[in-house]
Amino acid sequence: MSTITRRNFMKFAAASGAVLAAGKGFESEALAGTVATQTGRDFSPATGKERKAIPSACWQCVSRDSMIGFVEDGRLVKLEGHPKSIRGQGHICARGQGGLTSVYDPDRILYPMRRTGPRGSGKWKRISWDEAISELTGRIKKLRDAGHPEKFLFHYGRMKASSGKLIGGLVKATGTGSIGNHTGVCESAKWTAQEMTWGGHFDNWDIDHTKYMLIMGSNILETHTNHMSVAHRIMHAKIDRGVPMKTFDVRMSNTAAKSDEWIPIKQGTDMAVVLAMTKVVLDKGLYKGDGEEFLKFCKCTPKHDDTVANKIAALKKHYANYTPAWAEKISGVPASTIEKIAVEFATTKPAVLIAYRGAVTNYNGCDSERARQVLSSLTGNVDAPGTNCKAVGAGWKSAKVPKAKTKKVKDIFDGAPKGEPESYPFPTHHASHQVLSRIKAKGPGTFDLAVWYCYTPYFANGNWAENEAVLKDESLLPFVISCDTSYGDSTHFADMILPDATYLERFDWEDMVDPTQTGEYYIRQALVKPLGEARDFGDVMIEVVNRLGMKTNYKTKEEYVQQSVDMTPGVKEAGGWAYMAKEGVWNAGKTHYFSYKEVILDPKKQVCKVGGSVYEDLKDPEAICSYFGDDVLFDNLAGVWWHWKASKAHSEDEAKQKGYYGTKYAYKGYVATKMGDIAYKGFGPDKVNKSGYMELWSQILVDAGYNALPEWMPAPNQKNMGSDDMHLTTYKVCVQTHSRTQNNKWLTEIYPNNHAWINPKDAGKRGISDGDKIKVKSPIAEMTSYAHVTENAQPGHIHIAHHMGHIQYGRYASGNKAPEGRSDPDDKNIHWKWHGSHPNQVIPNWGDRLSGFQRWNDTVVTVKKA
Amino acid sequence: MDSAMNAKNKKSVALADQRINVYGFLAGIYRQELVPDLLSQIRTPPFRGVLSDLGANLGDEFFARKDEDMIEDLAVEYTRLFMGPGKHIPPYESIHHERRTDGDWGKFWGASTVEVKKFIETAGLQYKDDFAALPDHISVEFEFMQKVIERERDAWAEGDRDKALYCLKMEKMFIDDHLIKWVPRFCSEVVSNAELSFYREIAKITGNFIEFEKENIDAYISDA
Repeated sequence: MSTITRRNFMKFAAASGAVLAAGKGFESEALAGTVATQTGRDFSPATGKERKAIPSACWQCVSRDSMIGFVEDGRLVKLEGHPKSIRGQGHICARGQGGLTSVYDPDRILYPMRRTGPRGSGKWKRISWDEAISELTGRIKKLRDAGHPEKFLFHYGRMKASSGKLIGGLVKATGTGSIGNHTGVCESAKWTAQEMTWGGHFDNWDIDHTKYMLIMGSNILETHTNHMSVAHRIMHAKIDRGVPMKTFDVRMSNTAAKSDEWIPIKQGTDMAVVLAMTKVVLDKGLYKGDGEEFLKFCKCTPKHDDTVANKIAALKKHYANYTPAWAEKISGVPASTIEKIAVEFATTKPAVLIAYRGAVTNYNGCDSERARQVLSSLTGNVDAPGTNCKAVGAGWKSAKVPKAKTKKVKDIFDGAPKGEPESYPFPTHHASHQVLSRIKAKGPGTFDLAVWYCYTPYFANGNWAENEAVLKDESLLPFVISCDTSYGDSTHFADMILPDATYLERFDWEDMVDPTQTGEYYIRQALVKPLGEARDFGDVMIEVVNRLGMKTNYKTKEEYVQQSVDMTPGVKEAGGWAYMAKEGVWNAGKTHYFSYKEVILDPKKQVCKVGGSVYEDLKDPEAICSYFGDDVLFDNLAGVWWHWKASKAHSEDEAKQKGYYGTKYAYKGYVATKMGDIAYKGFGPDKVNKSGYMELWSQILVDAGYNALPEWMPAPNQKNMGSDDMHLTTYKVCVQTHSRTQNNKWLTEIYPNNHAWINPKDAGKRGISDGDKIKVKSPIAEMTSYAHVTENAQPGHIHIAHHMGHIQYGRYASGNKAPEGRSDPDDKNIHWKWHGSHPNQVIPNWGDRLSGFQRWNDTVVTVKKA
Repeated sequence: MDSAMNAKNKKSVALADQRINVYGFLAGIYRQELVPDLLSQIRTPPFRGVLSDLGANLGDEFFARKDEDMIEDLAVEYTRLFMGPGKHIPPYESIHHERRTDGDWGKFWGASTVEVKKFIETAGLQYKDDFAALPDHISVEFEFMQKVIERERDAWAEGDRDKALYCLKMEKMFIDDHLIKWVPRFCSEVVSNAELSFYREIAKITGNFIEFEKENIDAYISDA
């Protein structure tokens, strides 16, 4: 410790200053120049080479965290979190840091290629970009000229923010609406439930202000849609503030291990536990206070303007049989634990209920999320600081993308037609896992051209045998183009390959949800030029639509992104692209809570957010419709004012007769909801006809023949499980994403294969020892794997990470070099011979009963020693 | 709001000036042997008072001895302590900065030398062509701090808080990664080996000052 005091320091400084001022004896200084405060030169301490530090954004997973890329002599050498990002606060995960090896993957595709041998034979010939784009454009033009643009199937995996806006828009400009996505294999059951209840999708957990964290089916410390920005906050909450963290999980995940309590739960039964917790809250009156207050904004009975007492009574009636003892029988969680956690959750405020994929990958997926919305609502933990909040992201403007009228092939994207098995009433995010089997069902002639963009239908969906058969069948898919960075499993079955730029070689504006409820604007910049002849597919599509005779005000995606950034309010004033290119991130600094309390009309307080000044009271809501617009109706059942002309109704009479809930696309004309004497914007709809109430009681479910409130229904395939049957569940690890990272040598060196977790009791019964080869058989297929016998697996369950086991995707992922694969000095470091075995091959493509979401964790299997 | 901001900026300018003075003074002391003009300024009563306040006991002889004799004695001492030949205490970071991770210390032009050079060049400064010592000489490191704080002072004067903070963070990084890692250790060796009171006491003050800086730099940043 220094013995200098501040007072002495000041005296010493003054005396030193006098000596310096005299200037004698200080002539020969060593350094020249001026200290640079912004963009100084940077040198690598390791190599001494000059470095450039460029702000950008990750894309290894959908979290898309802000980061800084370091480039030495044109080679990307390091990726780090961006310290100025309010989302990541300088953190990126292992996947993010490892991302740079994807640029230099020796099995990367560097040139456009055309198939020469039979489909799937791996024989290719290099072609020029001009030939490739002529082929693509020619095929689209031919379909468009013949009046069948919809026979061009475009299916994407990851396509977000500016890539989604531009590429998706340009694809539509060709006239096709036959566009597939992949949310149906991610978490769409959760989104559909949120759209039914609070409108819009995506919840953010306000970890920075919470006092209790309840986790269900989410390995959030290792992996998540908004992984790092939430995970590091959870650790701060836990360690710095001592916030309790309780986790329900089918296996001892690393998140469960770091929690204060791990509560093992049988696969797919989270909903039963939540229903019982809700009953505890109702029986003990723990809804009083915040919960009651919030219930004013909830719909719990058929009447939109019911009293809170009636709402409570209706819920108590519905939940009467969902007792903790009932839930214990289903879930294996002791009734006393359910009651204890329910009380903790309801009385430690504010609290977050973090649930993700694990809680919805089952038959009850959508309804289980609705059940959680009920629990959060009853305890007042919705859209307030420290609770489950409606997500906030950046609101970028987009430079103009050409438009055209589109046509779409029906009965492909949303599962089977009504009445057939695997048809779903509310596939609001589609059922992408059904697309190949739907193409098979529709037969030849459905599509003439298919393009996969960052998508691997073979690998990402269940039932691999069927996937392979459809992909190989040239009558079902006559011409397939795959836009890929490396030689992927589905690319192997394509007819032409377009080498895509990696995310480290391209530009985007980005908008992922901000855990601080503020909304962060950030960008992705090319850190290095695309390797070889790889090109961003955005650039390719710009050229395609221009060749088709449409005009764009930009020649490249980079220009599109810059123009968009320069026209976005807030960012524009901060300096637009010049600012963003230098800083990488920008945020407006305003937080958003209580979004539902936005008042449209409050006569008492003289608030009026419609044209003119409407200060009449709302006793006769129909009388004031005209103030909202000429075509506005008031729906008594929903309590909603809506523009009927925005819907599919052909006349006002039809709209009145069918009503707000019964008219297709009525939600598109939503204006406001009457709650008491005030018209609120409320929890407005975005995909289904719902009112501005938090709709815990759903009219559209009633109309579709389902229970209005969340209802437990046992999965049909699990009703009669034999003593030898086991639940197969999947999970992710912290160094891999589902499909895209296994070509990454750093990450796959750490996690090269996926042993199947099995409990010692189950292993013992079957004579299986740790490391043994095993066979896992489902109703559709059999796979082999190797056992990891561990107490971290729950009895009756086998847990297999859904990452590995590629058939292609380069040497690290599958052992197979790509057709043009180069040698790599690290080839000698490949220490693994087994590349894993993917559980998707034995999982059927079944959907959740409401949303159609893939029931990844519902498969029943038998396991034996091989 | 503006006047409050200005008052705060003025305070920051004053603090920066004080630190510039100390770093500048110490850089001059270690850069080379004392010249007569400098010695006479140090021997003025006000400076003597400050040194006494700092607990430095230079002894009567330092103030009484004839200028030319004192200069000669100090030059001999400077050479003996810092330059050799024979056993001496080289005033270079790479000698004293114990790098336990890579073990690269105790030699000239070591890893620390490279890092200091890169750090300084990255900040936009260059070593003058006629600068003959190694890049991590104690006087260079002090001079570097002096120049960064000068830039910080200018930023405060211009009302540019972001730039000032940038400089403060650079200062903190240099203190944390370099100065504190070796200067106190170096100074205590000088204290043990000095024969004349001047370098012994100056070394004590130097080591104390760097520790004082380490203790306060976070507060400078959080108050900024």
